[in-house]
Amino acid sequence: MAVDRRRIAVFGAAFVLRLLLTCLFPSLPGLLTGRVEISTPVNSFKRLQEGLFLYTRNVSPYDGGVFHQAPLLLPLFALLPDATNSPLPTSIFYFLVDLLNANALVTISASGQSVKSRLHSAVRKHVRWDGVSVAAWFLFNPFTIATCLARSTSVFTTSGILFAVSNAVSGNSINAMLALGFASYLSLYPALLFVPLVLLCYDQRSGRPNPPNVAYFIVQHAALLLASVAGLLGLSCLITGNFWEFISATYGFHLLVPDLTPNVGLWWYFFIEMFDSFREFFLGVFWLHLASYVGGLTARFRSQPLFVITSLLGVFAIFKPYPSISDASLFFALLPLYRHLFPLMRYTFFAGSAILYSSLLGPAFYYLWIYAGSGNANFFYAITLVWSLGLSILLADTVFAALRDEWEQEHPEQVGMDVRQV
Amino acid sequence: MMTKTGDQESPQASASQVDQPSVQRAPPPETPAALQTRFRVIAAFWAVIIFLGFPIWWKTTSIYRASLPIEEMVDWADGKACRPVFPLEIHLATPSMQYFEAQNLLRTTQHTLDDLNEFAAHHLRLKLTNGSTTAVNSDDSLENAQTPAEETADTALTVQLLPRDGLASPWSELHAAATQLDIFYPPSQVPVPSSSNSPLSTFIAAELQRLYGEEKATIAHILSGNTAGLDSTSPQLAEDIDRRLRRSMKYAETYHLSFSLFTPKSEPSSWDIEAAALSPISNFTVDTQVQLYANFAPTAPKPEYDESEAAWTLKKEDLSAFVNAAEWPLNPSIGNGPTINFILYVPDPSQSPLIVKENRASSWMVPQWGGVFLLNPPLSNTEQGGLSNPSHLSQDSLGPAFMTFSHQLLTLLGTPSTPASLPLRLQTSIRIRAATLLLSASSTMGSLARLTESLPSIPIPATVATSVSTTLSHLAASCAHLREGRFGAALASARVAETEAERSFFEKSMVGQVYFPDEHKVAVYLPLLGPIGVPLVVGLLKELKRIAARRKAKGAAS
Repeated sequence: MAVDRRRIAVFGAAFVLRLLLTCLFPSLPGLLTGRVEISTPVNSFKRLQEGLFLYTRNVSPYDGGVFHQAPLLLPLFALLPDATNSPLPTSIFYFLVDLLNANALVTISASGQSVKSRLHSAVRKHVRWDGVSVAAWFLFNPFTIATCLARSTSVFTTSGILFAVSNAVSGNSINAMLALGFASYLSLYPALLFVPLVLLCYDQRSGRPNPPNVAYFIVQHAALLLASVAGLLGLSCLITGNFWEFISATYGFHLLVPDLTPNVGLWWYFFIEMFDSFREFFLGVFWLHLASYVGGLTARFRSQPLFVITSLLGVFAIFKPYPSISDASLFFALLPLYRHLFPLMRYTFFAGSAILYSSLLGPAFYYLWIYAGSGNANFFYAITLVWSLGLSILLADTVFAALRDEWEQEHPEQVGMDVRQV
Repeated sequence: MMTKTGDQESPQASASQVDQPSVQRAPPPETPAALQTRFRVIAAFWAVIIFLGFPIWWKTTSIYRASLPIEEMVDWADGKACRPVFPLEIHLATPSMQYFEAQNLLRTTQHTLDDLNEFAAHHLRLKLTNGSTTAVNSDDSLENAQTPAEETADTALTVQLLPRDGLASPWSELHAAATQLDIFYPPSQVPVPSSSNSPLSTFIAAELQRLYGEEKATIAHILSGNTAGLDSTSPQLAEDIDRRLRRSMKYAETYHLSFSLFTPKSEPSSWDIEAAALSPISNFTVDTQVQLYANFAPTAPKPEYDESEAAWTLKKEDLSAFVNAAEWPLNPSIGNGPTINFILYVPDPSQSPLIVKENRASSWMVPQWGGVFLLNPPLSNTEQGGLSNPSHLSQDSLGPAFMTFSHQLLTLLGTPSTPASLPLRLQTSIRIRAATLLLSASSTMGSLARLTESLPSIPIPATVATSVSTTLSHLAASCAHLREGRFGAALASARVAETEAERSFFEKSMVGQVYFPDEHKVAVYLPLLGPIGVPLVVGLLKELKRIAARRKAKGAAS
């Protein structure tokens, strides 16, 4: 009961904090909604409202060329009261989704997958935080709070991914695939998580009697994922009517990156500078770069599928086409599960300061560039480079720590020795 | 890159050497499982590169070159595919002649004409009509230009032969508003069937020759590539033609006519432009504006008062500075198509009347730009005792200005100055335009063929191939129409051909690659792909080396 009381306290405090921020600073959600660091063309709440306006007036939501999000969000938000006149119900809906996400994190943490899986057991498994602390890290992360207040639709992708993982660690592989299907339907890139997630499901399943064949298991779950995505697409088709228009406005938009509005990612500046004739080629290169980590990381960390998912989320937060701080907040949400790796990490101070530095200077440089006119695009781009550098160092350091942990597990006699690169 | 390096190098780093305080130890041997994992990691990255990367690279950087009919295009440019000919059909109406007489007259006149003609591409063909006058008025001939499906040849001119007593020799009269030439002849001059020549037929031939002399010279000038015209063309005429071709606007599908009333004071401030609007030429877009307080450019020379003329005068050489391009809102172009500007300038009362010094003219033309007319309305006395312009310009007072403007417009469009009949001039203009467009589209085709031949690295989109084939088919159609004397249809085809030719030549995606040599691709690929590629390639090489060494060891062991 004590644990439950703690959980209620943390969740309640997170809820009240969000509510207070919304009520004491009524202009804050609007301000955050307009920030390029939070709202990208594919998750902006403003664009969602535009699509909603068209949808409720029986015009195709993709007609204006502004709305690029999944159509199933429209009937959902059409049920809520209009966000411009009464913003509170929408905000509370987002708060609740955040709490659900935190709950999923508690489930993931409680399973202990991060320290001990079927094929792997960490050396320092006693060094860990419990689920409520992990949830608190997530709920009180300023990036998460900003994303939630800005009502970015990335929140739903986040919950899709977190529910997929939490169902996978608790053995509900079918629910996991359905949740991943939902996340992929919303933002396309979570589909890349399929391989580690299905391995995670398989590891859970094979702990029980009569383990199925690996290949059969994978094919079965791939079919399940495809079926769930196809079902959602079918529903969307019923809503929008025009299938190809909606595909090209949403997934085409994700894949071809036509909107180069600045964001915290690395794509926009690169594609602004790119020669037109090479644009398609480098789009292919960037997407392949993003996708190529799946195979390598999964092969290397076959024994820890949950760690593969965590590091892939870090990769996505850096290299996806329209990243925002909500992607970073998802990565930061899963990192505390690996509390036992923290002692092995070497550059946490540097990575942490780079991230803090860039998250403070980013808005300042954006202001200098866009409003004051005393800076130029390179100011902001440099900051996004620093941000990506900080995340990359953190990610690489985590991967290094995980490898070191594996090494110490295989060579117990060398625990605590320094490594040297040759 | 950071993550990838960490992912790949760290296992080796942690597996390689452990630093003891003083002792250097060899790293512990890698387990077979670790080796296999490393192989899988490298294979996973290379699988993505080979199975996804290379197809994408191949697909997105291959240059699409639609096949073009190069030979045919060059043939057109060299003039091998088509020799434009201009057979003009002239109807001979002889209401008061016997059929055989008329036949005879026709034969002898045609004979004389053929003797006189020295430019084979442009010849006049006479034809008898049965008596009734079939004068084609100007509206019809313009409409014919719009309907290429017209089967019969256009009638260029109808010659009406009318007997009249009491004439010593035949004389002719050209209708100013119709394509009709009346020839009055003394009845005695009807040729007798036996004679091969008669004064009447000679007269008709000479008359026709005179009518079409300028057109013939112009077409010869265009076809011969602006170098040498006909031998018989007088230098004066050749110079005229050259000057007119230089003055006239470049061809465009639509022209925008802009009429502007400029005045340095507040009056006159309105004009009957609607009523005064000129000739019924409908495929021009027209707009008008009134600009008050339009001053001369500060650098422009001021008009001077000339005592002898009792008028303010502008020097002829200063006319180029008259239009104050910086301050007068003459927009260069509205929509597509060039703008032809016509400026009606009402001078300040204190400087009225304003004329051009040398020839006392009140208007002049700016080549390829438009025309200016100085209007000096009668001044009226105001209550203050000063003189002022009338506040409204009526239709009557605008009459001469718009007569001038219509003349200037025709000149700017390249219409020849002779003959006097407007329909004839417009017809001539159609033929000249058709010839010009035919030549320019053909030479564009040739240039495009040479361009694609000489630059093998530029892409040729499918749209260009379509445009080229449209151009070629319309060129052929235009040439056929010309041969059969359907000039309106020929011009319509030539216009399509010219538009398509220009579109294919100035295709955006083609030109972008022209200045992009292959060496620059290194600079495009290397900055990103180099850093990504080096660890991947090194990893692959190391792995291959290890596999080769193991195979060798196996071979030595067995």
